Amino acid sequence: MPAEAEWRQSVFSLAALRRFATYLALWLILIGFNIADLAIGVAAAAWATIVSILLLPVNDRQISPLALAKHCLRLPWQSLVAGADVARRALDPRLPVQPGFITHATGLADGPGRNAFRAIMSLQPGTLPVSVAKSGDMLIHCLDMSQPIAAQLVDEEALFLQLTKGGEKHPKRNG
Amino acid sequence: MAEFLYVTAALLLLLTGLGLARMLWGPSPADRMMAAQLVGTGGGAIALLIATASGATAMIDVALVLALLAAFAAVALSLGEPGTQQRDGGANS
Amino acid sequence: MSLMADTLTIAAVSAGLFFFLAGTVGLLRFPDTLTRLHALTKADNLGFGLIVLGLLPQSPDVASGLKLVVVWLLVQLAGASASQLIAQFASKGGPSA
Repeated sequence: MPAEAEWRQSVFSLAALRRFATYLALWLILIGFNIADLAIGVAAAAWATIVSILLLPVNDRQISPLALAKHCLRLPWQSLVAGADVARRALDPRLPVQPGFITHATGLADGPGRNAFRAIMSLQPGTLPVSVAKSGDMLIHCLDMSQPIAAQLVDEEALFLQLTKGGEKHPKRNG
Repeated sequence: MAEFLYVTAALLLLLTGLGLARMLWGPSPADRMMAAQLVGTGGGAIALLIATASGATAMIDVALVLALLAAFAAVALSLGEPGTQQRDGGANS
Repeated sequence: MSLMADTLTIAAVSAGLFFFLAGTVGLLRFPDTLTRLHALTKADNLGFGLIVLGLLPQSPDVASGLKLVVVWLLVQLAGASASQLIAQFASKGGPSA
C-alpha cells in the first residue's frame, strides 16, 4: 500500500473511533451506565458513527485546539450579549428596532465550515443568517441597521478562520 | 428550593402559553413554526425545573424529547415548498 | 456551601425567567416575522441556558448534571439550526445551502 493511502486510512479510522467514543459517551450520559444495557449503547453508537460518516465525511482538516477553546469561552458571553440586546429592545417602550437585510460575501467554502459559521452568526447579537447563495453571498437579517454590522461580520469571519489552519479558504474573492 | 422552582415553572408556563398563543395566531406559517420552537425552549425549561424540584429525573428526558421534536419540526418545514401552505408532504426542494 | 448553591440557583433561574419574559414581550411587540425570530432564538436560548446553569448546583449527582448540560447543548444546536431554517423559509427565497 502506498504511504499516502495508508496515511489516509489511519486518519479515517482515528476519526471514526473518535466519533464512536463521543457517541458512546453521549449515550452513557443520557441513559446511564448499566452492564446489561451496554450492548444497546454500543450498537446505537456504532450506528450513529456510520450515519455521521455518511452525512459528514471525514476530512483531514486540523482544528486548532487553542482557537477552539477561545471560541468555546467566547460563545456563552456572545449569547449573553445577544440575549441582553434583544431583551433591551423588546422591553424599551420606544421599541428601538430597525430591521433590514445585509449581504455578506463570505470567503468560506460551501460545506461544514460555512455551516458552522452560520450557526455561530445566528447566536451573535443582532444578526440572523437567512440564506446563502452558491457564490458565497450570505443574506443576513439584522435587528438594527444603524449598527456597524458589516464590519462586525468581517471580524467574526477572520476570527472563525483561526479555527482551521488555512486549507478551507475559498479561491480569492473580492470583498 | 422546590417551591421556588415550582413557582418559576408556573410563571414560565404562563409566559410560554402567551407566546404560543401569539405565534399560533400567525400570520405566516413561519410564525406558527416558531410556536414549535417555543415549546422546545420554554417547555423544555419547564420540564427541567420540574425534574429538579420533584426529583423525577424522567422529566429531563421530556425536555430532551421536546428539544428534538422542535429541531425536526423545523427541518420538516424547510423541506416543504417555501411560502406554500400545502399539507400533503411538500416536495423535497 | 448549600447556601451558596441555593443563591446561585435563585439568581440564575430568575435571570433565565427574565429573559423568557423579554423573549415573550419581543414576540408580542416586534413588527415582523424575522424580527420575532430574533427574539425567540436569542432571548429564549439565553433564558434556557441560564435556567440550566441555575439547576446544575441542585443536581443530585454528577451524571444528572452532565445530562442537563447535554440537554442544553442540544437545545443550543437545535436553536441555531432551526432559526436559520425558519428564516430561510420565511424569506421564501435563496437556494438551500
